[in-house]
Amino acid sequence: MKPTLILVGADKGGVGKTTISRSLLDYFARKNVLTRAFDTENPRGSLKRFYPTVAEVVDLGNVAHQMRILDTMESANVPVTVVDLKAGNLSYALDLFERIGVLEAARSGVFNMGLMHVVGPSIASLDEIGEIAKYLQGIQYVVARNSINETNFFEWDESTHRKYFSAIPKAQEINVPKLNEMAYEQVDVAGVTFKDFIDNKSADGTQGKFSFVLRGYVKKWCSEIDDEFQRVQMLQDITSGGRAPTLV
Amino acid sequence: MAHTPTVYIIASDQNRNGKTLLARLLADYIMLDGRDPFMIDTDSPDGPLRNYFPGRTAVADFAQMQGQMKLFDTILGSPGRDYVVDLSARHLEGFFKATSELDFFAEVKSVGFRVILFFIVDRSVSSLKSAHTHEHIAGIDLFVPVINEFIGSNWLKADGAMFIPALPQALAFAISDKRFSLRSYVLGEMQNLPEDLRPTLTSFMFDVLSNFSNLEPLISLKSLRD
Repeated sequence: MKPTLILVGADKGGVGKTTISRSLLDYFARKNVLTRAFDTENPRGSLKRFYPTVAEVVDLGNVAHQMRILDTMESANVPVTVVDLKAGNLSYALDLFERIGVLEAARSGVFNMGLMHVVGPSIASLDEIGEIAKYLQGIQYVVARNSINETNFFEWDESTHRKYFSAIPKAQEINVPKLNEMAYEQVDVAGVTFKDFIDNKSADGTQGKFSFVLRGYVKKWCSEIDDEFQRVQMLQDITSGGRAPTLV
Repeated sequence: MAHTPTVYIIASDQNRNGKTLLARLLADYIMLDGRDPFMIDTDSPDGPLRNYFPGRTAVADFAQMQGQMKLFDTILGSPGRDYVVDLSARHLEGFFKATSELDFFAEVKSVGFRVILFFIVDRSVSSLKSAHTHEHIAGIDLFVPVINEFIGSNWLKADGAMFIPALPQALAFAISDKRFSLRSYVLGEMQNLPEDLRPTLTSFMFDVLSNFSNLEPLISLKSLRD
């Protein structure tokens, strides 16, 4: 089966990009799909904190680092590579990948590629969709509307919505449900994956002392996210181990 | 026979129909039985149960996540004893939504508890309806409909209900004093209760305590039926 490269990006910080990357990695772990992850939040790398063994911190502008991600796509024998792009770096990364031939490789079927675009409720996010549309041919595009830290409800008016999405015919949308703040914080403080939190395992592998209530709400939230991820064609193809996504 | 640690839930869809009195009677019964119950009162911030059982009552505001943690995590954190949960009417729905979302009853079972739900059914049709929706909640070992004679009820008395006799006003008032311990009364301390009220309270306590002790055979019967 062809490997899949999934970019997770957002046009601004604080919309929950790393949370989505974490949920994705967790999702694959629950489905027994091996993953690699790259965090371009150089040098800090918050993804690395939650996935010390899976995630690597890289600098996308550095050619050696680009090679570490891309030249190993096929040789790594890992079906999924998740790249968490630095906030605001989405257009830059796509432009870079276009220039060095990554997008072309994906279009010609060397590997599958998807972009998970995390957006908050502001209209600025939609502007970015217009800006990146030109790169998206042959790439599965998923807009993740993130409510995780938001109390206000998403309300995109129909015409604005159509205007942006008409440029990207195969776009899919998912909604990331809200997770109780206290539960979110506790997972964050513990520095463990959502899965380990649910299983009451602390970062050092010993039995955790996490609240049953918070574990329960994280579990419920994960099952809601699973339902959303299950609707995404690209992810279905990976977890079913089946055919490649239909490209535009 | 060794006693199985139990989570007792006192609930109703209506306020002011005797939940706290029932919780209090139950707590006193458990202690008279030589057990060591802990009470969780969801009626925050007042927590009337705390007045009667200071030192063994937690007040948890179920509307807050902290309150939910206080309730559920306290019970799961120290299994092996009995818990009496006094559930305010306003938290009835939220409580059972949470227990189902968190699969709480399966979790308490896994650490050796059983669950008994007391539901006070008053005269209203909505109360009767609510009792019936809560009658078959998964994970509850025994559902006990409760008729409070003072309030009245739509539940048929013959239909397996627990009956709390009405008390004359003077007596109800006297025992509502937070210094008055029903347990001590049963153990022979009159606590300045006027002499003319004593026979009524004695017979009331006798009725109620026998009702509680009849629950054990009820549970055994139910488990035979199931």
